[in-house]
Amino acid sequence: MSAKKIDIKVTDISKGQGVLVPIEPVDDVKLPPPYDKLEELPGFRKLGQQSLDKYDGYIDGVIAVGVPKPQSEEEEQKLVESFLSGLMKLFSNENNWTFLQPLVLSMEHCAKCQTCNHDCPVYEASGEVEIYRPTYRAEVLRRLYFKYVKPGSPLIKKFQHGDIELNWTLISRLVELSYRCTLCRRCAQSCPIGVDNGLITHELRKLFSQEMGIAPKELHEKGTVQQLEVGSSTGMNSLVVKDNVEFIDEDMSEKVGFKVETKWDVEGADVLLIHNAGEILAWPENPGAFAILCELAGIKWTLSSEAVGYDGVNYGLFYDDVQLARIVVRHAEIAKKLGVKKIVMGECGHESKVLGIIGERIIGGDVHTENALTFMENIINSGKLNLNPERNYFPVTLHDPCNLVRIMGVVEPQRRILRKIAPKFREMEPHGVRNYCCGGGSGFAVMSGNNFTDWRMHFSGKMKFKQILDAFADEDLTSNSPKYVCAPCSNCKGQIRDILDFYGAKEKSGIYYGGLVELIINAVDDIKEPFIDFDMM
Amino acid sequence: MIIIYILTILSIITFLVAVISKIIRISSAPVHLRWELYPVPHEGGGKAKYGGSRLEEPDWWEKKIHKDSLGELKVMVPEIVFLKGVWEHNKQLWLGSYPFHFALYLFIANIALFTLVTFLKLIGYDIFLSNNIFGQIIYYAIFIFAWTGSILGLIGTIRLLFSRTVDPNLSKYSSASHYFNILFIGSLYLTVFLWLISGRNFVAEMANFYYGLVTFSTAIEIPIVAYWHIILSLLFIAYLPFTHMSHFFTKYFTYHQVRWEDEPNIPSSKLNKKLSEQLNFPVSWAAPHIGADGTKSWLAIATEIPQKEK
Repeated sequence: MSAKKIDIKVTDISKGQGVLVPIEPVDDVKLPPPYDKLEELPGFRKLGQQSLDKYDGYIDGVIAVGVPKPQSEEEEQKLVESFLSGLMKLFSNENNWTFLQPLVLSMEHCAKCQTCNHDCPVYEASGEVEIYRPTYRAEVLRRLYFKYVKPGSPLIKKFQHGDIELNWTLISRLVELSYRCTLCRRCAQSCPIGVDNGLITHELRKLFSQEMGIAPKELHEKGTVQQLEVGSSTGMNSLVVKDNVEFIDEDMSEKVGFKVETKWDVEGADVLLIHNAGEILAWPENPGAFAILCELAGIKWTLSSEAVGYDGVNYGLFYDDVQLARIVVRHAEIAKKLGVKKIVMGECGHESKVLGIIGERIIGGDVHTENALTFMENIINSGKLNLNPERNYFPVTLHDPCNLVRIMGVVEPQRRILRKIAPKFREMEPHGVRNYCCGGGSGFAVMSGNNFTDWRMHFSGKMKFKQILDAFADEDLTSNSPKYVCAPCSNCKGQIRDILDFYGAKEKSGIYYGGLVELIINAVDDIKEPFIDFDMM
Repeated sequence: MIIIYILTILSIITFLVAVISKIIRISSAPVHLRWELYPVPHEGGGKAKYGGSRLEEPDWWEKKIHKDSLGELKVMVPEIVFLKGVWEHNKQLWLGSYPFHFALYLFIANIALFTLVTFLKLIGYDIFLSNNIFGQIIYYAIFIFAWTGSILGLIGTIRLLFSRTVDPNLSKYSSASHYFNILFIGSLYLTVFLWLISGRNFVAEMANFYYGLVTFSTAIEIPIVAYWHIILSLLFIAYLPFTHMSHFFTKYFTYHQVRWEDEPNIPSSKLNKKLSEQLNFPVSWAAPHIGADGTKSWLAIATEIPQKEK
């Protein structure tokens, strides 16, 4: 029986043992040739016995978090009590002032009309699997909220909101299920009442992390904890990052024919540029292109070599307000210490969101921040670059990172740039604030344990791949002549890289990906050789 | 009749107390972190059209913020009057939901019109007795609203009940109260419909009831179906704010306080002061990496170097 046809109710989450809905690849979202044969794609890897023995929380046969199995009934009971304690804190002013008001509004006013469902790319790409409905996990939390948090007669509450049994099976499955939503908030846009299922998922993750200490290791141990301890979620300390950037500078200087030199810790600089440090390791041409851009524009800029200051990543945004606050406070302190006029966030959606809007209510409002897209458009408008759009004469489409576009309203600067520098630019449909998530949002792009990558490729990223293919529909998809997906966000780039690899899109159709700044530098006429080298990508 | 008058007063008081206390509860919640969702319709400079924000401007903090309040109205009016969001994203549901809601609007309009008629009568101007055009317009407006409302409402009730029962997308998520609420509201439409087809003068009889209510007159005569309609309406008014249907006013908060709330945190502003207070709230989250003890504040926890986890 296909996963779609399995009749699952909200209350089933606490029933039975093992996998609730065994999922499988489906082709409800149809891809054009040569990607239309589902049977040619790898399916979901089955979990090994070791994983099955070690973890709990089986809901769909996929493991993203890896919830450790309790070793005894007492431990299980303690975990249930810990969850209940966290549930109370989630609805308290002191512990959750950060999101209490929107959370309560979303808890108490959903009409259960399901209007939001078809806006979810995961629900659509999965073939409408019940547990991926944006309202499913929200409804589980809602029933728990009314049962345990809100005062009143149990009978009336049951009549009004339904019932649910709280046990470890529910909790462990809910942990995993809270990592089957990319928090893109497309569903929230379509809710006529203003209920936000993305927020509810976010709050669930917080409860698990902040009270129970449960979070994916890529986001927590290897993410925020490592960033705060070592300086970067990549594991690079100050010395290593400086070494790497020096190497990038040398490489860039050779490429462009003039000296490119990154400045470190310049006090009173106009701009403190904070990249997602993943760029330095995975896509060095991106920070390299930024350095060239700043040189050409004559900007007084700097990077920080202080721990945390050279990495704009803040995975706390996805699962833990305290970790979020710790990192954003560090960023602000470093900017104040250097006395810079503003922080410019590199091409990274979630970094931009934290420093641009979310974090400003934590750090006090006296540190100014600007996103990379606005910053780059301003440079282009200044006329300091000698741009020749013909140097980008290949098909280009634009991915809209949810955090920059839907959440921050930065929609047009990147388009105005592309219209100037890329003659064969075309939009994806839908685009702008109604875009689809890349499928790697909310930290998924860096999560690849067990068989989670398979899930990202088949479900969360499939709609984006279809959009990419559709954008290039007027090109020959069986020819490997280059086509460029411009994704001005590190996490989105990571996910798009994985999608293109998974489907073999570079080899089959010549689809490449990269940032926006690389396209800008590629269009600079004063640089002899093309900056973008498709043979090397 | 006196019992009904008392019930009316209790019902209105319950409604007002419940609504006001809910508004106070929501409004007094702590200021949350920004969580807006674009498009934000008050963004000026033509940005609202495509979902842009002031963050598209270089050095945006040095520029004046243009807030276009008319932009919010342009979104809210079609949303409330036509349920535009449901139409765009869920047409099947709209077919039931729209007549159901629009009928309520017509009934609310009638409450306003009856209140006006009663007020005029109290000050000595019985517009239904005089032969003026204004009285006739009001009379026929109420009459048409009642007929249209009751018929549309019944269509919406049947359609919604059918959808909630037959469509598994809805039935799986519907509690007993969903069916009860639809039937409850449907009973208001049905009783007006029965009153209208009974051949009685609905407008005159209801107007008499309103007048009787404010004068506490016991000499008012209304048919049995009218008693049913009035009692059910009063119970519904008292019940409404305690349900998820309170979205009729909390929607203001989900939109204005969350989805469209984009106020920047400017040093020394009211917002800034509130946030500073909240940063001193004590934290008691129990996970070891938080390092909370129930007395340490958010500020202390966010600024201290976390101890290495064991």
